[in-house]
Amino acid sequence: MQERIGVFVCRCGPNIGDKIYVDSIVNDLKNIESVVTAKSHNLPCSKEGLEFIKDEIKKGELTRIVVAGCTPKMYEQKFMDTCEEAGINPFLFQMTNIREQVAWVTPDKALATEKARKLCLAAIKRVSLQEPIERKEIEVKPDVLVVGGGVAGLEATLTLTSKGRKIILVEEDESGETKPRESAQFRKVYLVEKSPCIAGVCGKVEEVYQTMECAPCMLAPELQEVLQKENVETLTFSEVEEIVGSFGNFTVKIRRKARYVSEEACIGCSACFEPCPVEIPNQLNGGLSDRKAIYIPYPGALPNVPVIDRLNCLHLNGKECNACEQACAFGAINFEDKDEVIERSVGAIVLAIGSKLVNPAQYPQFGFGKYDNVLSAIQLERLNASNGPTSGKVLLKNGQEPESIAFIYCVGRKEIGYCSGICCMYMSAMAHHVKEKLPNVKIYSFYSDLCLPKKEDQKVFEKVLDKGVEFIRSDGTEYVDHDGKKLIVKYKTESSLKSKAVDMVVLAPPIEPSNDIDKLAKLLDIPLDEHGFFEEEHILMKPFGAPLEGIFIAGTCQGPKDIGDSVSQGSAAAGKILSRLMLGEKLELEPIVAEINEDICCGCNTCIGLCPFYAIHRDAEKNISIIDDTLCRGCGTCVAACPTGAAKAWNFTMEQISAEIREVAK
Amino acid sequence: MKDKKLTIVTFLCNWCSYEGADKAGNARLECPANVRVIKVMCSGRVEPQFVIQAFKEGASGVLILGCHPGDCHYKKGNYKTIRRVNLLKKTLKQFGIEQDRVRLDWVSASEGEKFAKVANEMAETIKQLGPLSELNILEGVDYAEA
Repeated sequence: MQERIGVFVCRCGPNIGDKIYVDSIVNDLKNIESVVTAKSHNLPCSKEGLEFIKDEIKKGELTRIVVAGCTPKMYEQKFMDTCEEAGINPFLFQMTNIREQVAWVTPDKALATEKARKLCLAAIKRVSLQEPIERKEIEVKPDVLVVGGGVAGLEATLTLTSKGRKIILVEEDESGETKPRESAQFRKVYLVEKSPCIAGVCGKVEEVYQTMECAPCMLAPELQEVLQKENVETLTFSEVEEIVGSFGNFTVKIRRKARYVSEEACIGCSACFEPCPVEIPNQLNGGLSDRKAIYIPYPGALPNVPVIDRLNCLHLNGKECNACEQACAFGAINFEDKDEVIERSVGAIVLAIGSKLVNPAQYPQFGFGKYDNVLSAIQLERLNASNGPTSGKVLLKNGQEPESIAFIYCVGRKEIGYCSGICCMYMSAMAHHVKEKLPNVKIYSFYSDLCLPKKEDQKVFEKVLDKGVEFIRSDGTEYVDHDGKKLIVKYKTESSLKSKAVDMVVLAPPIEPSNDIDKLAKLLDIPLDEHGFFEEEHILMKPFGAPLEGIFIAGTCQGPKDIGDSVSQGSAAAGKILSRLMLGEKLELEPIVAEINEDICCGCNTCIGLCPFYAIHRDAEKNISIIDDTLCRGCGTCVAACPTGAAKAWNFTMEQISAEIREVAK
Repeated sequence: MKDKKLTIVTFLCNWCSYEGADKAGNARLECPANVRVIKVMCSGRVEPQFVIQAFKEGASGVLILGCHPGDCHYKKGNYKTIRRVNLLKKTLKQFGIEQDRVRLDWVSASEGEKFAKVANEMAETIKQLGPLSELNILEGVDYAEA
C-alpha cells in the first residue's frame, strides 16, 4: 500500500513563524513523493489545532503523520493520542523539534529554514519506515511475596492487603434464575520469615526513639492484624529456595522448616518448656540467658507457637526423651514433622530481610568476648527489655547493679566505611531508659561525631543530657582494659590520654548486611552494592526498587535506617506494586522494547552481559538470546552491540535511524 | 555559506542531552545551524555504523551526547558508549579520519549552556578541519542493510 503522509508545520505564533520561512518549507515538502498533505498551522497543539489535524487525516486518508514544532517533550503524547483517535497507530507518528532546537537558537533566518527543512525531511523519511506497535498486555498475578517479617515487611504486607476490589458475581440460584451478587476479590500476600516469629529487631527492643514508647505495644496491633488477616499467609520458620519467572509471574518455592509443633493444635500455653532437660544459650537474648530445646524466641513473640531446635533436642538426636510430648495436653508435638517445600505464584516480590549488627569481637581493642560486662548494644537492649533474660533489670554478670557504664559510639565505623545513622539515637534512648531505672548510675558516652538527623532527635538528645548523661568527645581511638576490678576505658581528647573506670561497657557496632543477602541476590540475580546491601535502582528516585522489574527492596537490607524510614520504604514498595499490579487488570508493557530475531541470532551472547536490567537470557536449547519484554526498557544498548543484526530496537531501528542520518548529513 | 555544508550529525539521548539541547533553546543560546539532531533513547544505542554512515553521507563531524557517567537513565548505557567510541576513534584514524571529527560528551537535562558550548566548540573544530575528503573506502556499503 502506498503510504499517505501528512506533515504539519507549526508556526507557534511568532516563535517559529518569525524565525523560519515556514511557507517555503511547506511548499518544498508538498513535492515529496508520498506526502499527501503538507500544511502549516498557527498552533497545532491547541484544541482547534488537534481537530484540524484529525480533519486532515480523514480528508486526505492519511496513514502517517509528522508534526514539526516544539520539543516532543511538550505535546508528543497529545499528538499521538490524536493520531490514535483518528485511527492511525500512534507509533506511525513522528515529531521534529524546530522550535527549541532551531528557531530559538538560530538567529539567521535562512540558516534556520535550511536546518528545519532537513529535520522535516528526516522525519518524513523516518516516519515512512516506522512500524505500528500494538500495546501489549499480559495476564499477571496480583499476589505478592514479602520476604522478612520486620517492620518494613509488615508495613508492606498491610498496605498490600488493606483493600480488595468489588466484583459482581452472577450466579444461578436453585430455581435456575441468574442473580448478581456483590463480592470482593483480595490480593494475597505470602509473608515468609526465617525465624520462628515475626516483628524483626523491633520486637526485641524495649523502648524506641524518637517516641520513647514500648516497641511491643507499638507493634502489637500490626502483628495481630497480619496474623489474623485471611488474605495473608504468614510462613514463619521458612525460607525462599527458588524463584523463577519475571515481573507479573514469578513462581516461588518456599521451604517450611520442620517446627515439630503443630501450629494448628498448639494453644501457646508453654507447658512444654519446663520439662525439657536441655539448656543452651539463647542467641536471641544475645547469649545472656539459656533456653530449652523447645522454645519461643522471647516471651510475647508471635505467633505464640514454640519450635523444637533439631540440633539440640534429645529425641531428634536418637536419645530417649519425650518430655515435651508428655507435657502437651493438646497433642501438638510431632517428632515426625518433616521440612516441606511449597510453591506459590506471585506477581511481585518485596525483599525486606533486614540486616544485623557487626559482632564487636571483630574490633579486639574493646575487649568484647574477653572481659565480662562488655556488651554489644543489642545485649543491653535485651537486658533492658521486660521480655528479656533479666525481666528488664540492668545487671552485671554477678547479678549486681552497675554503678557506672561507658557507652562507646561509632565502634568500627571507620573500618566499615559508612555511618549507620541510627546508633547515636538508639544509644541515647537506651541511656535514657537505664537512667530511669537506675537514677544513680553514672553514664559516660564516648563519641567523636554525633548524628542527629531527624526533627525529633535533638529533643531526645537534650532529654538524655538532662538526665545527667555525660558526653565525652574523644578522637575515636578508645580502647578497653581491665584492672582486675573495673573496666578501664582509655580515650584521647584533644589534649591528652585519659581513662575512666566503669563497671560496664556498651558498644554501638555498625549495621551490616544480613547473612542471607548473598543467597537471595543469587536466587534473583540482582546486584549488591559495595557494602553488600541490595543495590537500589536509583538511590534518590527509586530507592525501593531493585534494578530487576517486579522486585522491591525495603528496610535495612537496602542500607542502615531507622524504624520510620523502614516503614516508609515498606509502604512505598507496596504502593508501587499496587499501582502496577491491579486486581483484575492486565499489565501493560513498555511499547518500545528490543527484540531478537531467532533466525538471525548466532547465540554469541554478547547482548546478555550488556543489559542493565537483566532482561536477556540464553535459550540453551535453541542456542540463542531471548529478551523478556516484561523486563526490557528499550535502551537499545544490546541492539548497538549485536554483531549479526538479530537484535531490533522497536521504533529506533537501524533503517529508521539510517534514513535520518542520510537526510541530515547532507 | 561554507558552514552550512559542514554538517555535524548529533546523537542525543532522550533523557538528559535532548532536554539539555531544549534548555539551550529556552535560554535562546545561539547554536550552530549545522548541528543536526537525531534522538535516540540512550547514547548506548549509537552503533559505530551510524557514525561511519554519517561520514559517508557527507557529514564532517559527529557529536554524541549522553547523560553524565553515573546518571544514565538506563544505569550503564553511556559506559558502553565510551568503550565503543574510543575503539571507533582508533579505527577511524586508520582510515585517515581525524579523531576530532567524533566527539563524545555529557550534557545533563539542566545544562543548556553546556550544550551550546559543546555544539559551538564542535562547529569550530570542524570549521578548522574543513570538509572530510572523499573516502573510497566508505563507498558501496549500504548501511541500512548491514
